[in-house]
Amino acid sequence: MQRLLTFQLYILLYTRCFFIICVLLCQDLNKISAYRDRRFPGTQEEYEHALQTSITVYIGNMSFYTTEEQLYELFSRAGEIKKIVMGLDKNTKTPCGFCFVMYYSREDTEDAVKFISGTILDDRPIRVDFDWGFQDGRQWGRGRSGGQVRDEYRTDYDPDILYQRCGYGKLVQKELEEQRQVVDYGVGSLGSFQPPHMAQNHGRHSGGGGHGYGGSHRHGRGDYHRKRYRDGDDDHRGSDISKRNSEHESRRNSDHDSRQEKNPRFRESGDSDDEEDDRKRQK
Amino acid sequence: MSSWRTLILRIGEKSPEYGGVIDFKDHIDACFGVVRRELDHSGDEILTFLLQCSEQLPHKIPLYGTLIGLLNLENEEFVKKILEGTQKNLQDALDTGDCNKIRVTMRFLTVLMCSKVIQPSSLVVIFETLLSSAATIVDDEKGNPSWQARADFFITCILSCLPWGGSELVEQSPEEIERVMVGIEAYLSIRRRVSDVGLSVFEDINKVNKLHDEQDFVEDLWSRIQDLSKNSWKLESVPRPHLLYEAQLVAGKSHDFGPISCPEQPDAPLELSRINFGRQKHEAELKYPQRIRRLNIFSASKTEDLQPIDRFVVEEYLLDVLFYLNGCRKECAACMVGLPVPFRYEYLMAETIFSQLLLLPQPPFKPIYYTLVIIDLCKSLPGAFPAVVAGAVRALFDRISELDMECRTRLILWFSHHLSNFQFIWPWEEWAYVLELPKWAPQRVFVQEVLDREVRLSYWDKVKQSIETTPALEELLPPKGGPDFIYSSEDGDKTESTLSKELNSMVKGRKTAREVIIWLEESVIPINGLDASLRVVVQTLLDIGSKSFTHLITVLERYGQVIAKICPNEETQIMLISEVASFWKNSAQSTAITIDRMMGYRLISNLAIVKWVFSPSNIDLFHTTDRLWEILRNALNKTYNRISDLRKDITHLKKSVLKAEQIAAVAKAELDDAESKLMLVDGEPVVGENPVRMKRLKSHAEKTKENEVSTRESLESKEALFARAIEENEALFLSLYKNFSTVLVERLHETFGEKNLDHAGGDSEAMAVDEEETPAMETDKENGNSERNAGYIIGEKQQWCLSTLGYVKAFSRQYASEIWPLMDKIEEEVITESVHPLFRRAVYSGLRLHADQ
Repeated sequence: MQRLLTFQLYILLYTRCFFIICVLLCQDLNKISAYRDRRFPGTQEEYEHALQTSITVYIGNMSFYTTEEQLYELFSRAGEIKKIVMGLDKNTKTPCGFCFVMYYSREDTEDAVKFISGTILDDRPIRVDFDWGFQDGRQWGRGRSGGQVRDEYRTDYDPDILYQRCGYGKLVQKELEEQRQVVDYGVGSLGSFQPPHMAQNHGRHSGGGGHGYGGSHRHGRGDYHRKRYRDGDDDHRGSDISKRNSEHESRRNSDHDSRQEKNPRFRESGDSDDEEDDRKRQK
Repeated sequence: MSSWRTLILRIGEKSPEYGGVIDFKDHIDACFGVVRRELDHSGDEILTFLLQCSEQLPHKIPLYGTLIGLLNLENEEFVKKILEGTQKNLQDALDTGDCNKIRVTMRFLTVLMCSKVIQPSSLVVIFETLLSSAATIVDDEKGNPSWQARADFFITCILSCLPWGGSELVEQSPEEIERVMVGIEAYLSIRRRVSDVGLSVFEDINKVNKLHDEQDFVEDLWSRIQDLSKNSWKLESVPRPHLLYEAQLVAGKSHDFGPISCPEQPDAPLELSRINFGRQKHEAELKYPQRIRRLNIFSASKTEDLQPIDRFVVEEYLLDVLFYLNGCRKECAACMVGLPVPFRYEYLMAETIFSQLLLLPQPPFKPIYYTLVIIDLCKSLPGAFPAVVAGAVRALFDRISELDMECRTRLILWFSHHLSNFQFIWPWEEWAYVLELPKWAPQRVFVQEVLDREVRLSYWDKVKQSIETTPALEELLPPKGGPDFIYSSEDGDKTESTLSKELNSMVKGRKTAREVIIWLEESVIPINGLDASLRVVVQTLLDIGSKSFTHLITVLERYGQVIAKICPNEETQIMLISEVASFWKNSAQSTAITIDRMMGYRLISNLAIVKWVFSPSNIDLFHTTDRLWEILRNALNKTYNRISDLRKDITHLKKSVLKAEQIAAVAKAELDDAESKLMLVDGEPVVGENPVRMKRLKSHAEKTKENEVSTRESLESKEALFARAIEENEALFLSLYKNFSTVLVERLHETFGEKNLDHAGGDSEAMAVDEEETPAMETDKENGNSERNAGYIIGEKQQWCLSTLGYVKAFSRQYASEIWPLMDKIEEEVITESVHPLFRRAVYSGLRLHADQ
């Protein structure tokens, strides 16, 4: 764990510059996926080529409850969709937070990665990457628990390490979360116009601009354990979920909840770092 | 990572490389200090990198220009190479019509002139080259005025350079720049004023004449430049770091800049008909689109204190950042909020982004990009930007009835998506009054459609919860229920119910489509008739596929043939669509997806979709919901995508054929060569000396020949497909226009009589729209009081006509490139003398074809 942490830190420092240059010089965004799939049957070059020509995106960090129709609504805004494949937990056969979306054109695929990654779907910042192409069997989660590998990986380090490495304590975390609560559409608080933040930090140092809003505060949302009765399978799914491997399940649940309730921001400020880390990691 | 890169890249930013403070002098000194040391071993890399930075980060050009000016004092050769590179870039950009590159490169050259790197006269030569090309284009005799878009673009480029170097030019070569200005003035007097008809976000249906008294984009920029010149070329938005080094820079050697040439415009059509002219003009405007159309949604008090030219410069900065930094979220947001100007510009920034989101005919990027930018800016400036965005939403909402139909759709999609990223929080109570408006009132339709899209992105209960402060709005939520399967209840038709169960168990039992068809033909259709059989099949299969998108696809893939068998023609396909719409009456999204997929599997033709959309019961919904328009949009879009894919494939295959021919020819030549050599050796072709090589060459030649033939065959088959697609496309648009014309003709006569809206005069009902327009857009009502809108007085029929005409225009505009080739036929068959003038006008304005041309 300690080693992992140091490694992450190192990567963070190093890749920042790498990413920046990449931004300037790789306008076409040959954004190679962060994640190297170990099951890809080929060399690294073939893998990269597959990603650069792929018309499939991988979507991660989804809510277990997100439906194909929601995905369709969001992802069709980047282009005509050919197919959606939900990732399923291999033990319970229920959605476990990832999926594949296939487009018809490369351009639309690139736009999905560029413009949807890091935005919110079902209250969660989703992650969108190029994928080397769906094959039957890949819909099953490969994690030890039957769930998603990337999720487990993320679960291992994400929220806590992010804050440690940025020197944020619990207090700051709390402050961030309060700011998130208030989205101001009321009186324009121009007085608190901030001097522009520069690249690395924007979104993180929100300064004191987040106070003095009128209108709709909403604390606690209380619908995390919602169940949607969209079709007859829901009951079935519900009971399946409760049957899951209890230890992992409770950890993941608490992870989901704490992420959203304690600090819903973590991903906006961390998402690209994540990508940078992974980009480096792949090298 | 060598640090010269970071220093060049991060110059002018508050970055750690520069100690977190912005001081141009320090930055330039530090950067110059490092770069000059590296010049000897990494000169080439520095050169490439500098050129890339100055193209892709154009808001930093003044800093790069000064840096290069200083390098010029050290190493003239290096700077000479920079200029050679720049000249090549500019020429390439002119040849390929790369508008952004042309504009940015010219700005770069202007700044280099300020740093004494090039002679002012060299810059003027470039200006004059562009100017003379522009003047030729608009000349009736020598040029081709339908290509005015290019000429206007060249003039815009020249004028856009002046904020960066106008004062230097005037100081150093007053006569030459004066000559250019006179030339531009002369150009402005020859060219035609460009009208915004068909492309303005707000449709002033009563102000067709404004064309003659309002400046267009080029004239507007010209007047801004004149103001600037009157103000002794002083402006706030352009940093002038070269002044800090003036004493040193004068010692530099000013280089010459090689000549450039402008491309020839295509010849004017031989027969200069209205349509030929319009077609060419359309082509030119596609290549040289106007970059921005200002929205002016905020009251002047928010931006008024800016000099007009400063506003223009900030817009340039923002558009450049949006263009060059797309896909780099953090960098893009950081640059947008950190422009090198000493004033605040958040309102201007919002207006600029919204003007892009709503830009007609098409924004440079998909609308979802601007959604992302707005989200990121709301996060970057949490204290200021959300309120500005909300102000923009209110302003647009207040004028929604004037908003172009396409823009309304974009706004609905953007707004719902935006809210979904911010926990669906919105002060809905402000808009509760729409419930008192009739169901066709644009405000009310807007709220209803936004809520529908929110539900699609989320789920019903969640959206319901988000409007809990205004529970009455629940009335506008879409229905909560799922599919409406007619055989699920007991009171359905008993026979059909039984058949449905039977079919269901056949599917569950994995019977093949073939078996199902036999069952249908032998024991269902003969007894129950076609209508009932169709209903049973469609309802049952839809029910099986209703669980998710994938379920739908699976059932269509497996049993599509069954549907195809029972719905072989247009008439039955229309019944099929009706059945889908009734099954999914509670879900606009599922209706649209199902129809779209069925068209994808060619179970439904696009013509059947058009016919169904224009069926009597649907027509009555045109003005109250987006449902049908979404289905129509999808059908047109899919047809268009098919054609574009085929076009791409064909271009690609043509290249492959050429390549295959070459390879085959080479292989053949090699073989011939080898054969002839053998003959020379032995007097006759004995295959003895090197049979292995001969065999290899022979098989290689055969293989390449085969490859050539097969590539050509696939090209031919694609071309056949393409020809079919073109026919389908033609039939589609003819049918679309005919249907529009038919449904509109009677209602237009009833509502507007024979009058053209232009001449409708002040007493016409059409003037009612005017009641809603508030001249200077009082968007400052931050308390959200919109009571003045409560008096909505447009009658239902009139709104129906306005909405439908709005879609005629929107579709014509969106598919103009596909419609233009068909225009002669459309004029002949549809837009005849007998159509209502308002219908004709909607088509023409969508195509930007002016009746008076």
